[in-house]
Amino acid sequence: MKLAACVAALLLALGMPIAYWLAYATWRGKFLLEAVVALPLVLPPTVLGFYALLAMGPHGPLGKFWFVAFGHGLAFTFGGLLFASMFYSLPFAVQPLMNAFEGVDPRLLNAAAVLGAGPWRRFASVILPLSLPGIVAATVLCFAHTLGEFGVVLMVGGNLPGITRTASIAIYDNVQALQYGEANRMALVLLCFSFVVLAIVYGVNRHARRLWTPWTGR
Amino acid sequence: MPPLVPPFVLDVMLEIPAGISILFGPSGAGKSTLLDCIAGLVRPDVGCVRVAQEVWFDSQKSVDLPVHQRRVGYVFQSLALFPHLSVEQNIAYGIAQRAPQERSQRLEEVFQAFGIADLRRRKPAEISGGEAQRVELARALVTDPQVLLLDEPMSGLDEELKASIIADLRAWRTAKNIPILYVTHSKNEAQALGDRRIVMRAGRVIDQESAPMQG
Repeated sequence: MKLAACVAALLLALGMPIAYWLAYATWRGKFLLEAVVALPLVLPPTVLGFYALLAMGPHGPLGKFWFVAFGHGLAFTFGGLLFASMFYSLPFAVQPLMNAFEGVDPRLLNAAAVLGAGPWRRFASVILPLSLPGIVAATVLCFAHTLGEFGVVLMVGGNLPGITRTASIAIYDNVQALQYGEANRMALVLLCFSFVVLAIVYGVNRHARRLWTPWTGR
Repeated sequence: MPPLVPPFVLDVMLEIPAGISILFGPSGAGKSTLLDCIAGLVRPDVGCVRVAQEVWFDSQKSVDLPVHQRRVGYVFQSLALFPHLSVEQNIAYGIAQRAPQERSQRLEEVFQAFGIADLRRRKPAEISGGEAQRVELARALVTDPQVLLLDEPMSGLDEELKASIIADLRAWRTAKNIPILYVTHSKNEAQALGDRRIVMRAGRVIDQESAPMQG
């Protein structure tokens, strides 16, 4: 839960500028960044975890930097798990945000500019409120996706109780130990949680669509 | 490789005095593009846009004032009210930086002038076409723009509503002595409003004439 909440909060902050740039930049090569952002969708989690582990290891760039800055390594720590999880869930933040930003009617942005709003005010007063369904979707999907993470967590975080053990790994451990009752209890909690989360996303989207219908003529 | 969009040539030299200038011309003549160039939404390759003593764009001197600093009032061809804001918030959007007292006073002025005080708490989805048109006009005018650009602001409205909005505009023109560029295909609107007519075709001005001043 702690990992999922941290990943969702950080990815929202990091995903917004990336999504904004992808939605509005006219640079021809932006498809390359789009491909990088979408990589975790197609890569096996173990591949991603393997490279994350190499980068965070004592000889990896991230691991070296972390050691110099904080005096200890990054792999098999909560911080390391956070880094890897953020990259793994990046498309779940960027895609809904980008779709939401792209969905904002450009005429509204032109109207705001003509009325004296600079880029920041246009973002805060037009793009953000009209993208609320996308923001809710991104937050909830990042949270839920991180909660169900398995492969990356196992590669980068190991399975240290209280530090890097996540719900999905705990279920796996219980099944391995033939403790089906405990595994079932945890799996049921995850199942119910996922359902509630998706219901919230769809509910918010429906409500926002009804509230913010642009004027289309009567 | 040929360009995906054929280049559009807009070759215009115009001096627009205070009052309402009607822009006539067939579709594709460059009327809306001309308005977009003045507002700064489209950047011309070469040329100059000057309003009173202020230079907004000058390709030779590399001057290109951002849209939000140009003090333009612009009513677009298709309505662009912010759907998440109330009518009052929409109109107040362009004067958010003013002192609260001045803001309230300006809002009351336009609410009365355009007869839309009853709509202030409603969202754009909850008002009719004529009301939305009025709100758009009020939103553009409340900022005290240096120039007002109206791109077919009454297309799709019935005659009664048009007459009423024309009356609003004429009253405003008398009160505020600013250049107003008004794009329309309607001869009735042109006759009722225009101090001056400018005819465009294929990106060029082909005729200009002054009309007798209307009330």
